Amino acid sequence: MQRISRVSSATIVAVLACIAGVMQMYGAGSASAFVSRSLALKEEAKLHLTSKTGFTLNEQGVVVGTVKGTIYIHLRLTSNSSVVSEVNIYPPGGSLSGLGSASYHVDGGFAVFVGGLAVTRGTGSYAHAHGSDLRFTGTIQRRGDAVAVQLSGLLTV
Amino acid sequence: MTVFARIAVLWAVVLTCATMSVAAGATEIVTLHTSFSPEKLGASTTVGFGFDIANADGGIPSPLEGLSLHLPSGIDYLSTTLGLAICRPAALLAHGLDGCSPNSRLGFGSAYVEVPFGENSAHEIPDVQALMGPPHDGNIVVVFYADGHEPVYAQIVFEGELIAGSETLGGSLDTAVPLIPSVAGGPPVSIVKVRTTIGPAGLTYYEHVHGHTVSFHPVGVSLPTRCPLGGFRFSAQFAFADGTSTTATSTVPCPRRR
Repeated sequence: MQRISRVSSATIVAVLACIAGVMQMYGAGSASAFVSRSLALKEEAKLHLTSKTGFTLNEQGVVVGTVKGTIYIHLRLTSNSSVVSEVNIYPPGGSLSGLGSASYHVDGGFAVFVGGLAVTRGTGSYAHAHGSDLRFTGTIQRRGDAVAVQLSGLLTV
Repeated sequence: MTVFARIAVLWAVVLTCATMSVAAGATEIVTLHTSFSPEKLGASTTVGFGFDIANADGGIPSPLEGLSLHLPSGIDYLSTTLGLAICRPAALLAHGLDGCSPNSRLGFGSAYVEVPFGENSAHEIPDVQALMGPPHDGNIVVVFYADGHEPVYAQIVFEGELIAGSETLGGSLDTAVPLIPSVAGGPPVSIVKVRTTIGPAGLTYYEHVHGHTVSFHPVGVSLPTRCPLGGFRFSAQFAFADGTSTTATSTVPCPRRR
């Protein structure tokens, strides 16, 4: 009986120590619970035109790469040499949103844009996502306005 | 120097500059013509563009060396499907229009050219074609092809570059016009009239769909949904071989409400 009590006490101490360790590791119950990590994005997407308003093309498609899911892009032509973009990606369990700007030029049947994008917010698994130096390039097929884009760089999540 | 003396000097400088400006454009008189067809806000259209050059003294005007056409803001010339193919100037010179895809055509028209021969002159009416050229520094390039047969047999290629405008998508088409000799070693010809279009009117493009060649009409530049106050104002600067230059303006009035 005395032996059993000793074992039980040791077990309780061990379990408490374990819980304390885990709590310390994850900071349970505190605001600093999040542990960030870097994600090397290398995305490609093909999109089709859903609507067109003035100088803005609204596109929807599928993105594949490090993050997979549905992608929506709003491309607004601001001059004959520049374009600004709003990108929303919906992978399983969250979302990523970003704003970008790029130079733009027409080359025959295609318009080409090359620039950068910053991830400005996220939800779910990507609630803490941020990245400000992503490379964002693409082409717009002038007949039909289908768009192909590439997104690459380090994302902190 | 008193305030009044300073003002007097300033006025003298201003008046001198104004006189010089007028003198710079006094030799040639240019009239600019512009139009939209159809004239419908928010719709694709064909832009008509032309000019007449006359000499103030009644003689043959000095040869045109350069032209900068400023486009009104708000016109969407980015989402058109005009110029889906690139026309290389070398191919155009070597093979004429057959050297380039029909999908590179942007518009067409004609010119009226005075050709000096000794004390007299003759005239020539070459066809003018506008085609999509290879981009330069990211800018759209319009290749002009003038094809004349009588009395001077000449095919001329020259290029205009569409320079970016402001956020409202204005811009200017800057074109250098080569001097075209009337005869070997002779004086250059003078352009006195040009009428051309940029737009889908009269153009047919082709594409491959499921193994078949299908024709279609390209989408032209689009007018904005709202007309600018006072209409669509174009202006153009003309530079001549005699060193003079002048500016002409033309306004396409706002379409009537239906």
